[in-house]
Amino acid sequence: MMEETRVVQGAWELSTFHFNIEARGINLMLEGFKEKKLKGIRCHQCGMVYLPGPFYCRKCHVKIDEPVEISDHGTVRTYTVQYADIRGNPMPEPRVSAMVQFDGCDSWVMGVVKCDPKDIHVGMRVKVKWKDQPIGNMQDMEAFVPE
Amino acid sequence: MRNVGIVGVGYCPQFVSKRKDVSIPEMISEAVDAAFADSGLGPQDIDAIVFGNMHTFEGVNLPHLWSVEHIRALGKPVMRIATGGTTGMTAFHAGYYHIASGLHDVVMVVTFEKHSEGDAQVGLLGIITPEAVAMMMAGIDLTGEGGMGAQGGGSAGAITYQAVSWMHKSGATIDHIDAIAAMERRNAAKNPYAHLKDPEATAEKIAKTPMISYPVRYGHVCPTTDGATVCILASEEKAAKIADKVAWVWGVASCASDPTTGNLIEGLITDPAEQMQCVIAAREAYKRAGIEDPKREIDYVEIYNGFAHQTLMYLELVGMCEVGEAHKLLEQGELEITGRLPVNASGGVVSTNAIGTSALNRVTECALQIMGKAGERQVEKEVHKALAHGWGGLMQYASITILADKPKKL
Amino acid sequence: MAGKVAVVGLKFACAPDLKTTRERLVFELTRGLFDELGIDRHEVDTFIMCSNDFIDGRTISTVFLDAPSGAYLKDETKVEMDGLNALIYGWMRILSGQYDTALVVSLGLTGSQASPYLNIQYSLSPTYERQVGLLNELAGAALQARSYLSRSGYSEELLDLVAAKDLQLAAKNPRQGRRLEAVDVDKVRSSDYYYEPLRELHCYPRTDVGCVVLLASEKKAAELTEKPVWILGAGNSIETYFYGERDLSRSPSAAEATRRACSLAGISDPSKEIDFAEVSALFAHQEPLLAESMSLIPEGEAEKAYRDGITGPGGSMPINPSGGSLGGHTVCAGGLLRLCEAVLQIRGEAGPVQLEKAGTALVHGQDGLCAQQNAVLILGA
Repeated sequence: MMEETRVVQGAWELSTFHFNIEARGINLMLEGFKEKKLKGIRCHQCGMVYLPGPFYCRKCHVKIDEPVEISDHGTVRTYTVQYADIRGNPMPEPRVSAMVQFDGCDSWVMGVVKCDPKDIHVGMRVKVKWKDQPIGNMQDMEAFVPE
Repeated sequence: MRNVGIVGVGYCPQFVSKRKDVSIPEMISEAVDAAFADSGLGPQDIDAIVFGNMHTFEGVNLPHLWSVEHIRALGKPVMRIATGGTTGMTAFHAGYYHIASGLHDVVMVVTFEKHSEGDAQVGLLGIITPEAVAMMMAGIDLTGEGGMGAQGGGSAGAITYQAVSWMHKSGATIDHIDAIAAMERRNAAKNPYAHLKDPEATAEKIAKTPMISYPVRYGHVCPTTDGATVCILASEEKAAKIADKVAWVWGVASCASDPTTGNLIEGLITDPAEQMQCVIAAREAYKRAGIEDPKREIDYVEIYNGFAHQTLMYLELVGMCEVGEAHKLLEQGELEITGRLPVNASGGVVSTNAIGTSALNRVTECALQIMGKAGERQVEKEVHKALAHGWGGLMQYASITILADKPKKL
Repeated sequence: MAGKVAVVGLKFACAPDLKTTRERLVFELTRGLFDELGIDRHEVDTFIMCSNDFIDGRTISTVFLDAPSGAYLKDETKVEMDGLNALIYGWMRILSGQYDTALVVSLGLTGSQASPYLNIQYSLSPTYERQVGLLNELAGAALQARSYLSRSGYSEELLDLVAAKDLQLAAKNPRQGRRLEAVDVDKVRSSDYYYEPLRELHCYPRTDVGCVVLLASEKKAAELTEKPVWILGAGNSIETYFYGERDLSRSPSAAEATRRACSLAGISDPSKEIDFAEVSALFAHQEPLLAESMSLIPEGEAEKAYRDGITGPGGSMPINPSGGSLGGHTVCAGGLLRLCEAVLQIRGEAGPVQLEKAGTALVHGQDGLCAQQNAVLILGA
């Protein structure tokens, strides 16, 4: 074992990467937001409904592209109440977020829930609170609120 | 098919937050020396080396190239395996197949992580960098103030969803999570190679640690550790000549699901607590091991628990008890070192987490229990068969290893 | 061991810029291969993924590639080295008797990167070489080239001969990435020096590659293809990391890997018993250097062999009849590209670059700066 040691600096920069991402599903979803609607994609083979929609079905391993409208009412499948941020700094107020399964959809969607932390529970019914003037952006879905 | 046995285990002398006295290759070398000392073997006895770690945590790509001399690999075949959290165990599986294939007889598996030389949060966020950037361009607020996608912080965020869903299914409460975390910290105090130790840990003490995101408290979360673990495997013919006590591999299996909570672009379709890949891997491992009734036949279990609730959750998922039963066994004291179903006498990952080693440590700890070499943390009951479990990635990879105290009848 | 595991199917894509996403690339390759063979993902017993986090710019780079490859809820693992090693692991799994089929899925996309030659930085020691900052893939290769030419006494023109041969073949090969028109020794010599003696056209280009290869046990192979190509042997070996301590003019690890592979394959004289070789020569000088070290041509005779056309498609030891890595290469998938070309040759499906005699092949892949680590496979009909 070395008696003498020294610390040297290093860095790993991700800035030189160009990532290509599948955009069909997100674009479809954001288009739907403009109309205050949830638009996903359905697998014609097994019937799975995804939101946002992928270009292939995970189970069937075939290309899929059947747009489908999904209800903006759903059920909380799991949730959490956040008290500190990623680095451990306490938050001014606890924040409730949940994974919600919208009626008719197999995907679970994550989002903030505007409700009393004491009320959130698995099985709670919620709906989307849309921004008044949606522009096709993730913020159009302001939050989930109790039904 | 050939039988393969573990003939040597080597840990670096301490698993702590910062090893300032050694560089990466030097730290690895300590564990290699320890494994040689344990097995009585030397570099000339090793046919091939398998190397595993999660290199984005230190920013050194393919570190086996840098560490050649330190892993005594000059001229020899070296294979690098990297599968996220399960790396330690999948590297072990690769070592197993090196021998089971008939191509090699004695193989050394080397794993390590030196978190203090990198930034773990960056490493973790790097899993979903393009997705996160795409969502940010689409307007997502990753701090989660509003809109779609809120998930708390780092991997602690996604894990909370898993914990709550499991609690709902099993009837366990946050008190049980506090209690299991305390048990693991007490166990860790008996393990010279553990990181976070507290011989006086209690559920009440754990409950006083700040809550990050319900139900995960600081006291439930694994540390980041610097450490290295080495394991030497041998074929049946060679093992008999090398070691009196051997831990024999009866079954290994792996399975991958989709990246549960990370599928921001392709839609999440999995309950993070369902962990079907773990159920499938366990089933396959039992089948290969010829085990029909794990509850009766498996004496000891090491669960990869980055977060305390996972000990109980995975105990149920690998079939060692029914869903809803794990927290009751905990209440009855059966999961303790003195109990009827001892789990994580080592303290688990929640007490020590040098990621590259974490899944291998589950295997080596099972091996030490079988060989009766676990020192102060040796469990009371006799251990004939043990199960080691690992998970990794965005809660999507599962690996299982089943060990026994004699070779399997082929 | 010989004859027990075969390559039964493959699919790959190689271009300067595939203009696609990683997920779609692996989906198209695996779905395409399954459709060709008339199978689906459930007939693959195990998936061996192969990609490099640092090239991809993301941790656990296969997290999002498992599902599109068909590995959803299937047995899966990942080897993070040149793809030939992933293939060797698949071979081991089938030899163990526990699996009948193994699919290797590999990719490397450097087409859109600033420079593929910078990636090697991350495998250099952060405590010294990275701090000093003089070593990158081009500098290292240039040092190796100079060392080779100096020890052997060959002229710099050898580099031009190698590059011209490879680039001409790549131009004829529709599966290659870099296909230049009217390339000859003069055109090579007129490309700029990067690091003397290496010029632009002596170096592998930035490339996007995706590659999937299906292995099967003896009994399963018969069901899947009429033209199995058997793995007769394989070997892997590694040299010291410390650049200044290596004999850069030779490759002892390529020699050792070849010895191991040939020993399993029952080959005692590669120069006579191997019909052709696909070698991952990332820089022109590496082709003759590796060929000598792997005993394909006698040491000291490389320049003559290239001048006399021995290593060309009409010669007695064709090396890189596909055009080799100078036509396209990337970390991880690189060695598998060479393997795929070799398999196509053996099956008689190499098209415009088909050799007359292609029964037994040597395939090679490398890792680390200037082939610090080498993997060799022997394939046969």
